[in-house]
Amino acid sequence: MATASRNKAQDSISQTKFGTNNFLSERGIPLPKATSTGTTIVGCLFKDGIILGADTRATEGPIVADKNCEKIHYITDNIRCCGAGTAADTEFTTALISSNMELHALSTGRKPRVVTAMTMLKQMLFRYQGHIGAALVLGGVDSTGPQLFTIHPHGSTDKLPYVTMGSGSLAAMAVFEAKWRPNMERAEALDLVCAAVSAGIFNDLGSGSNVDACVITASHTETLRNFVKPNERVQKERSYQFRRGTTAIKKEEIRSLVVEEDITHIIGTGTGRGAAEGEAMDTS
Amino acid sequence: MPDGSFAHPQQRSFNPYTDNGGTILAIAGADFTVIAGDTRQSEGYSIQTRYAPKVFRLTDRAVLAVNGFAADGNMFVKKVKQRLEWYRHAHAKDMPLRAIARLIQTMLYAQRFFPYYVYNILGGIEEDGSYEREACRAAGAAQSLVQPFLDNQIYFKNQTAAPGQSHPSHLPLPDVLAIVIDSFTSATERHIEVGDGLEIYVVVAKGRSPQGLDTMRGVQEMSARPDGDRMFVIRRDLKKD
Amino acid sequence: MFLTRSEYDRGVNTFSPEGRLFQVEYAIEAIKLGSTTIGVRTPEGVVLGVEKRVQSPLLEASSIEKIMEIDHHLGCAMSGLTADARTMIDHARVTAQNHAFTYDERIKVESVTQAVCDLALRFGESVHDEDALMSRPFGVALLIAGVDEQGPQLFHTDPSGTFVRYDAKAIGSGSEAAQSELQDKWHKQMTLQEAQILTLRVLKQVMEEKLDHHNVQLAQVTPDKGFEIINEVRLKEIIDLM
Repeated sequence: MATASRNKAQDSISQTKFGTNNFLSERGIPLPKATSTGTTIVGCLFKDGIILGADTRATEGPIVADKNCEKIHYITDNIRCCGAGTAADTEFTTALISSNMELHALSTGRKPRVVTAMTMLKQMLFRYQGHIGAALVLGGVDSTGPQLFTIHPHGSTDKLPYVTMGSGSLAAMAVFEAKWRPNMERAEALDLVCAAVSAGIFNDLGSGSNVDACVITASHTETLRNFVKPNERVQKERSYQFRRGTTAIKKEEIRSLVVEEDITHIIGTGTGRGAAEGEAMDTS
Repeated sequence: MPDGSFAHPQQRSFNPYTDNGGTILAIAGADFTVIAGDTRQSEGYSIQTRYAPKVFRLTDRAVLAVNGFAADGNMFVKKVKQRLEWYRHAHAKDMPLRAIARLIQTMLYAQRFFPYYVYNILGGIEEDGSYEREACRAAGAAQSLVQPFLDNQIYFKNQTAAPGQSHPSHLPLPDVLAIVIDSFTSATERHIEVGDGLEIYVVVAKGRSPQGLDTMRGVQEMSARPDGDRMFVIRRDLKKD
Repeated sequence: MFLTRSEYDRGVNTFSPEGRLFQVEYAIEAIKLGSTTIGVRTPEGVVLGVEKRVQSPLLEASSIEKIMEIDHHLGCAMSGLTADARTMIDHARVTAQNHAFTYDERIKVESVTQAVCDLALRFGESVHDEDALMSRPFGVALLIAGVDEQGPQLFHTDPSGTFVRYDAKAIGSGSEAAQSELQDKWHKQMTLQEAQILTLRVLKQVMEEKLDHHNVQLAQVTPDKGFEIINEVRLKEIIDLM
């Protein structure tokens, strides 16, 4: 019974959002395309903590929508999260969890843990059955030490010493597999993260532009926005300044935006009844 | 019912084509033509090679640019070149540009029901020194980015000339080359399938000045004879991300 | 030669021990039985002229067709077994049209001549699965006249598939006398009208009948007008000019 009535509801265009979308796409009006961060995001463990890395290209199909976007999102002071997939989903999901983590920290009075953020994220993503297209790399240092996770759009998670996600994940993972070692020094690990993200930038068309990085240690979080810029804009051969008057004026019409209004004062000239009513009015 | 039974008809399909990205463009001047293409070949989000030429010299005065499905493009160029050689043997001369244009048309139409998935731009100089059916054309992945730019810069679309002046019908070679290079650097910035390298072929009509081209950076002359039409190729790097 | 017939006469594609293909040679002989046909090249164009043998007063002279159009810029005159020429001209016309369709340009005179000569050699016994070939060589020679980017040209083809370019050429029964006369009278800077008159004069010399506008036909190929058969009125005028 219940199933039957739900199906019926879907047939009608006005009943559900789902039905409306189907109705429109059947009529040749597809859903608006989501801006996807066809991305390279990485994270790795080193001696003193975690380093996260990301490229900065955002795409809409084959078009570069943003040449320098930020994919390393703030969760708490000691936790950051890289997002790949649908840009809106990664941004809102991380912002929501960041907000909830702050509330959680306030109510517990403790420094928040990475597993907490991870659990909140996976529960939310699982609840939405993969419809929230967020693939995340979550990293941070808390009372239990450095932590690094990947979270897939359906809600599954992995805990590994080095991770990659996004369309450039294979290129980046190849670098980690070749060069990552336990207990690396900070500079060494940062170089490795850069190399991994760069592999994605140059070999994956969905990734490009600059390398963002974030080094998280027990005592300090360092955001390295545009840490490497290997794809600076090339100088154009010509200047594309247009002469004043290049745009043709087809018609010119000037309208006055000043509204003129004649005001007739009634209070002074009235019978007194109006004034009395006015005074009686309570406007407090 | 998806139970493996044969109760319901099932449809299978095989798609023999892929899109290998990239962009080509050509601009005609008063006494020259410029034909250019990037050198990236991709499939999906992967780069197959950073150097796969899309622009080919056919004769002393004809250049063909192909874009779309690379396997078809390469095979098509191979077949056109073969026909050119047969023609040379049968008629003891190089095929004239408009004969090549018609040949390409008939070769493509012969495959009307199993087409070569290729967009072609043919450029060059005709026997009588005339040069164009069209002054500029872009094709391929970034066509929708480049063609409006070309319309604005070559045909001066949406640009009002200064009072008492008019727009030139043809631009000089250095201006055209600058516009071609800028078209590709811009397409590289905003289209993920465009980049890596740029090859620009220039055919200069017989007896005309190469307008400083011979001293340009990264230029190489390919002319068969210095007294006929001259052909040059300019190679430039494009961003590789 | 006819007294020394041997078994090498049988096969159309069998060489004799002396290295000869008799059937081809006989085919060339057949041309000498044909009416005289002349071609003259000038810088202004090419003139073709033929003798029409009107064997009976009841024969319609206009029904004898020995000069034919191949394409706008190509004409052809024949001598020998003229029925064979139909096959060749058909082939030439198809070749010319195919070229125009494929390349959007007029085929060269030499190229169309080559195409005709390629066909001339396709005789012989067919091998089991092969398409049936022609049973014998063509018994006709052609004078192919045309104008292309290399200017007005005249080609001669014979049954052996050989073709040669000429400034002036005569074929058929009166060809020997006609050829030596052409050799005497042809010069480089001839006008088209001079060529027309020369053609008629040479034909007149070798014809048994008295030449008039019924028993000769004249055609020309010029850069401006292409191929045209000269009509009887105009032909009469030229005959009067002789």
